[in-house]
Parts: sequence; C-alpha cells; structure tokens
Amino acid sequence: MTPRPHPRRGLPRLPAALLRGWTPRAERSELLAELTSEYAARRSRQGRAGAGIWLWRQVLGSLPALIRRSWWRGWTGFEPQANRMQPGGTPMESWIMDMRYAARRLRTRPTYALLAILTLALGVGGTAAIFSLVRGLLLEPLPYADEQNLAVFWNQFDWSEAEYLFLKPQVPGFKAFAAWRPADVTLELPGAPARLLHGVASSANLFDVLGAPPAMGRAFQADEDRVGAENIVVLSHAMWRQLGSDPAILGRRIKMAGVSSTVVGVMPAGFWFPDPDVQVWFPAAMNPQSRSGQYSLIGRLPPGRSIETMGGTLSQITGLLGGQFQYSAQWDKTRNARLTPVREYLLGSLRPGLLATAAAMGLILLIACANVAALMLGQVDGRAGELAVRSALGASRRRLMQQLVAEAAMVGMLAGVVGAGLAALGFRVLVAMLPLGAWASAAHIDWSLFALAILIALAAAVGIATVPVVSLWRGDVRGRLTRVRSASTGGSGRMEGGLVVAEVALAVLMAAGAALLIRSVTKLYAIDPGIDTHAVAVVDITMPVLMPMEQRRQTLRELLEATRALPGVRSASAVQKLPLRGSGDNWGLSIEGHPELPPSTTAFRVVAPRYFETMGFRLVAGRTFDATDRPEGERGVVINEALARHYFGGENPIGRRIGTFDSLDRVIGVVGNASEAKLTDSAMSTRYMLYDQTPYVPSSHSIVLRLDRPGMAPGVLSAAQRTIHRMAPTVAVQELTTMDRVFALAVGPARQVMGLLAVLTALAMLLGAIGVYGVISHFVNRRMRDWGIRMALGLAPRRVIGQVVGRGVALVAVGAVIGAAGAFVGSRLLSSLLYGVRAGDPLSLALATFALLLAGAVAAYAPAHRASRVDPATVLREQ
Amino acid sequence: MGADGLLGAFEEQVLLAVIRTAGDAYGMEVRREIERTSERDVAIGAVYATLDRLEAKGLVTSARPRGDPSRRIFTITRGGLSSLAATRAVRERLWHGVNLARLGTEPR
Repeated sequence: MTPRPHPRRGLPRLPAALLRGWTPRAERSELLAELTSEYAARRSRQGRAGAGIWLWRQVLGSLPALIRRSWWRGWTGFEPQANRMQPGGTPMESWIMDMRYAARRLRTRPTYALLAILTLALGVGGTAAIFSLVRGLLLEPLPYADEQNLAVFWNQFDWSEAEYLFLKPQVPGFKAFAAWRPADVTLELPGAPARLLHGVASSANLFDVLGAPPAMGRAFQADEDRVGAENIVVLSHAMWRQLGSDPAILGRRIKMAGVSSTVVGVMPAGFWFPDPDVQVWFPAAMNPQSRSGQYSLIGRLPPGRSIETMGGTLSQITGLLGGQFQYSAQWDKTRNARLTPVREYLLGSLRPGLLATAAAMGLILLIACANVAALMLGQVDGRAGELAVRSALGASRRRLMQQLVAEAAMVGMLAGVVGAGLAALGFRVLVAMLPLGAWASAAHIDWSLFALAILIALAAAVGIATVPVVSLWRGDVRGRLTRVRSASTGGSGRMEGGLVVAEVALAVLMAAGAALLIRSVTKLYAIDPGIDTHAVAVVDITMPVLMPMEQRRQTLRELLEATRALPGVRSASAVQKLPLRGSGDNWGLSIEGHPELPPSTTAFRVVAPRYFETMGFRLVAGRTFDATDRPEGERGVVINEALARHYFGGENPIGRRIGTFDSLDRVIGVVGNASEAKLTDSAMSTRYMLYDQTPYVPSSHSIVLRLDRPGMAPGVLSAAQRTIHRMAPTVAVQELTTMDRVFALAVGPARQVMGLLAVLTALAMLLGAIGVYGVISHFVNRRMRDWGIRMALGLAPRRVIGQVVGRGVALVAVGAVIGAAGAFVGSRLLSSLLYGVRAGDPLSLALATFALLLAGAVAAYAPAHRASRVDPATVLREQ
Repeated sequence: MGADGLLGAFEEQVLLAVIRTAGDAYGMEVRREIERTSERDVAIGAVYATLDRLEAKGLVTSARPRGDPSRRIFTITRGGLSSLAATRAVRERLWHGVNLARLGTEPR
C-alpha cells in the first residue's frame, strides 16, 4: 500500500477540479488520494512533464465515462452499497433525478401540465415571432454603407428637377446629394403580355451616395442622367432571377416603358431602395428647366457629422432655394423642408404597428408567466405535506428548490419546443396581418426564431420558478407538516393573489389599447367617402409612356366597351386617379367674370362617361356627362360641392364657365364631395372632365366596373385582365382590386393592427380568466373545511357564492385599477395609429375594465358554485 | 453484459482484476492490475463506471473496510463468478478448432 499524502497537495488544480466535479462525494477522497500518490511517483520517475501528460490522459479518458455514469446514476437512481452512509452524487446526477421526477409528476397531472405548457407556449411563440420580425425589419442594418451618415431631404410637395440640379453642385454640409422618384414602368418580353415593374428613376449618383455597388456590372455613370442619354437599367437581384439568372444579361436590351434599354448592372441579393418591391432602377433624364417632378433627395454627410447637428445647414439650404426660386405662399417649399435619418424615413411607418404588437406579445408572455407561476404555487401548496416529509428526512432546502426549478425548467423546455412551432405559424400570420406593405415580402423565418423561442421559454421558466422558490424560502417547510394535518388554512395565498392582480393589470392594459384602436377604426369607417364602394371592381392599368395621346384615348375607349360587355358588369368607366388613394393632380383654376380671384388650384380628375353613376356619386344639381358631350363640342365640367361652395358661394354654378386649359369650359353639374385624397382629409375642391374633351391623357388609369353582386369581383376581374391582355398587349395591368379594398387600405394601418390587437386581447383576457379561475379554485379548495363549518352553522349557499365571486372580483378590481393607470400612460405608443380618440380615452379604459371584471366574475363563479354545494358532513369527516 | 448474460470484454477484464486483487480490490488497484497485465493505459473513470454497472447488475458488491472507510472495496459475487464462467465457456467453444499459426497471423 502506497503512503497517501493530502489529496489536494501535489495535484495540478484544473484536472483535480474536473475529476472532483464528476465524482460522487463518497468516492472523491479515494480517487484523488490515489491519483495524487501515483502522480507524485511518476513525477519523481519521469519528471514533471511526463507525469502531467499521464494525468491529463487519465482525466480526459475518464471524463466521458464519469459523465455517462452520472447520467446513468441520476436516471436509474443507483446508489452503491458502500455509499449508503454518505449518499449523493454529482450535481448532474441530482438534476437528472429531479428532471425525471418532474417528468413523472407532470405525466400524472396532465391538466396542470398541459395548461402550464400551452399557456407558456402561447406567450413564448407569439413573442418569438414578433421579435424575430422586429429584428429582421427594424434592427437589421440597411443595405447601404454607413447608414448613419445618410439623410433624406424632403418636403410635402417633393422637389423638382430644376431644384435638384440647382442644389447638387453646391449643397452645404453634404458630401453628395442624389434624387429619386418612384417610376413604375411596363416591361414587354417577347411572347408575354406586358407587365408592370416597380421602378425608381434617379440621378446618376444614387448608388454612389448610398454606397451600394452592384453585384454584377456597373452602376450609373456621371452624365447618364442628362436629357438624351442612352437608356440603361440596373436590375434588382430578384428581377434578375425572374429573367432567368443569366450572368450574360449585362449588355442585353430589354423593352421597358416602350423603349429598348440596356441592362448595365444587377444589384446584390438583399439590396433594396427605397423599399423591397422595387425591381429596376434607371437614370432620370434631368432637365434643368423642368419645374415639375416628384423627387425626394438623399444626401451623404461627411464622416463624423451627425444629422442632429444639421439644423443650421437645413436653413442654409432652404435659404439658397428661396433665393433662386419664387414660391407662392401656398406652395412654399422652404418652410416645411425636413432632414430625416434614412432609417426613419424608410422604415418609420412600420414602427408603430410592429412595436404595438411587440408590446402586446410581451404582455401576453408576462401574463402567461404569471399564470404558470400561480399554477405552480398552487402545486407547491398542494405538495406542502410531501415537501415537509422530504425536509424532515434530511432534504436540504436547496434540494427542495432545485426540484421546483427542475419542474419549471421542464415546463419551460416543453413550452419552448411547442412555442417554437407556434412561432413559425405565428410569424406567417403576423406578416399577413400587420401593415408591412412592401416589407411583407422581405420578412422571412430563420433558425434564430427557434433559438429565440427556446431562450425566451427558459428565461420565462427561471422567472416563474423564482415565485414558488421564494415562497418556499420564506415559509417554514417543516412547520407545514403539522399544519397540513390540522389547520384549515395553509398559507395566506397573498402571493397567488398578487400574481392574478398583476395578470389582470396587464390584460386591462392590452384591452384598453385594443379598445382605443377599435374606437378609432370605427370612427374611420363611419366617415362617408361620398361614393358607394360596394360591388365596384377596379383594374389599374398603365400604358406605355411613348403611346401618343390620341391612341391612349382610343385604347381606353375600346377597353371600356369590351369590359362593359363582360357578364356581371352593370356599367364600366375609368378615371385617372381613384378617390381614397391620396391626392392626385392639382390644376390651376380661373372663373369667368372673376378676374380678381387670386391664382389658385383645385384637384382635377379626367374621367370616362358614366363615371359618377358607376362609382355612386350623389348628383346635387345639373347633370353628369352624357352622349351629348362630344369631343368636338363645348367642353363640360362637373364640379363637386366643395368647389361650388368655395368659389361660387351662394350663386348657382350651373352654366357658368371656368378655365382649366386655354379656353373656358361650361359647368354642367355639381356632385357630392368624395374623399378624393385621404379618408380623413376634409372635402377637397375637385372638378372632373372627360377624356374625350381634354388635350392631356395620362398614362395610368383605373377602370371601374359596377357589378351585379360584390361576390362576382374575382371572376369579372380575371375576365377583364384577359380581355385587356388580348386587346392591348402593350398595356400593363398593374393591380386588380375592389373599391371596398381601396377603402380598407385608406382606413390604414390602424385597421390591421386593430384586428391583431383584438385577437391578442381576447387571448390575454382568456389567460387572465384562467388565472382567476385557478387561484379562486385553489382558494376554495384550501378553505373547504371553512365553508363546511360555516354552512353547518347556517350560512346560505347563495352567500358562499357571493363571498367567493366577491373575492375574485376584488382581485380583478385591484388589477384593473393598476392596469388602467398603466394604460393611461402606455397608450401613447398607439397615438400615431389613432383617429378621433385621445390616447387616454376614458371610455376605452372603462370598457376594458368592465370586460375584465366580467371575465373575472365568470371565472370565479365555477369554483364558487362548487364551494356552495359542499356537504359539511363530508368535509368535516375528511379531516 | 449483453442480453444473453455474457460479459463485455472490458467488464470481463475488470471482473478478473477484482478476483486477482482480492481483498484490496478498490478502483485504482483494479486499474493498475489491468494495466500491469495488459500493458496499456486504462482510464480510471472507465474502471469506476464499469464497477458501478457490475454492482448494479449484482456481479460485484462494494463495502468500506472498517479501518479505511475512504476506500470502496469490491468483492465478486456468485452471480459474477457464473457470468465469468459462462463468458469463458462461450469463448473457448469459439476458439475450438481455430489455429492462428496456420493462418499466418500468430505473432511470433
């Protein structure tokens, strides 16, 4: 037998620690002592290095076997004979035992297990889905170099080519400045009908300013944006793939907007500007004389400059503009020009909807956690006897807590797996339900969503476990052993009550948010758009830019005749710009006999015959266009009530003459006001003229078809599309929709966010109700003996119900007050989505509170009913 | 040990080493015994894990001697002996009639 030195002395620290950690307590000293002495012997024989190598080989060779043994012992509960005086293995062993025990407990309590896992999985899945969406859309870097140095310079009227070209060489404070405008174009491929591409026309330096080089080929060169330059185009990666992913596409010509353009470059996958739907970019032909244009400007700041410090620069720029151009008071672009960081400009509109949803999901997760914690607390209370016995038999408090944590971790892991599945489903639902516009196509699921779900679930489980652990820590475990047998009340239930109060507060917070949005959207829907949106189908078409005016007019006439003949179509017409789609053209107006009238403009719409009948305008006076309005005859104008009131006051406008083009045109009728711009805008002065009687015919139109029934829209729309492709192959069909849909879009993002928030609120209320039910059930069960005695002494069952429900309602009421206070503050998050209601709207708060009180009372009724039916004799005998 | 009650190769070696070191058969000594006879390194963790498994199957028992309670001393049981015998019998039946020298692979 070798002499045994002190186990610690002489053995390098790390290998010793590794072995100690994976050896049961009873066997540690033997192992370490033997290794130490053999190590010492080898050291004197082979030197320090040789002995070290031997030791490490022992440790690394032993660890897998020792870890397997720990797992196996934990799993089987094996404890060798020799260790019976000093039981207990490695930490892993006890964790595995506790996990097995937790799994067994959950299996034998399926209702509790399912409720806990599903509740948590709902919260986890929703949160993971929305955070993965938020991460993908709001937190990813933009595909431009140094995005913090990019700022958009804009005003509500947009900039013209002349203004851009004036500013470009001398703009103070910026390194470079580019201009762009949306420019959708038709694409004609041989053997296929024309289609519409989302495009951007820009100055030649756009990609340089963005700092985004193409993946293939080149960007635009310096003078390719002058008038008369060759037509070139850069494709998006997705567009390149649609055209066959051919690397030899560079230099090829494609027919775009009716002219042949050369493909010079392809952008990398993942690049987008200004939104992910754009498929082509091409240089705009910049004319220094042109005062028209709808350009936005984007500028790159020199490194080190920040947008916040650009206030002085902004006034310098507007000063330059004001010195060069004459602006009328109404159109003064120098007054409302803004500099906005590029991220805010491009993604700002996504934020309120996404953040409101994320907040709602976070609240649901919190509610779910509180629910599961309350459930576990109830379990701990129900297990007081078991825990007390285990404690009396020598289980340390740490060990009892570890068991609770293991159970929470088990619930958390299962909820994480289920939640990851829900998250994948929920992600699709969210993308469909949120107002993401072009970004919906950019949102995609990746593995991180699943990792996120598991992480959130485990974090939630840890949070949940602290509740029963704290309760156990504070409680005198062994004392319960005696109380369980004799006393009628175990624990005060204050912690459970607190959890339900928190849950209800969160649910009220959400319900208040949803109520605000619902009220807001109801108000939006209550606005009269001035037209009958029911049963109107819409076909948006775009004609090639190069198509001559007369041919445009002729093509439109033929298309209207053909679509009017389609089965199910009552009448067909067309307009240059539909109501509810934002402001369109404004034209100057003069009135005969009123030379003193200051120069002003009103909205102007070119329409086809029967437009007002098809759209359901109300005729106020005179007549609408009919067959007597011939191209060669006197031009007629239909005006709306707003124009009549504003420019004619009390006079009768019918028969008066107003000027739009070179000559004066006769007012033939007055129609009711329609929402020609946005739904919430006040009525805009608008006049309407016939395609046949105006010298100018725009290239895009909306064909409107009034149908026999709204349900016929899909069939009629596809028939109309086929007809257009057949009769006019160069005309691109841009969109097929209905006026109801246009109206819904005009109601805006609040409608979509409302739908989602309403669903989530229902979920939160359900979870809140489950929480109230669980806690009140537990409260009732704990006091069964109390109820029995009181009823034996003559308490009426009706009063029992009253008392129990009263307790439930009291919990809810406390929570509701807290929640309402929170909602008062928190609802400002929604303020950009609201219309006609204030963020702290008292009616919405009251509605939310009332809904929760009702849910709480209903949830408390079932256990109350049970308490009222208790048979005093049975309960008292049981004790 | 497989489902047929036979021992795995390492289990057999550990059991034999327990018999050879009888009276002083604790983990480290068993390891040394195998190393001495097989002339190769054996990781102590593997020996401990195997001894645990053998004890769980009732082929060895462990106890702590009164004078030195830090050591877990193993003794082979009746079941352990019969498992060894069965394993050896199967092996000998398999070896019967096999002549490695004739196949030219017997190390000289």
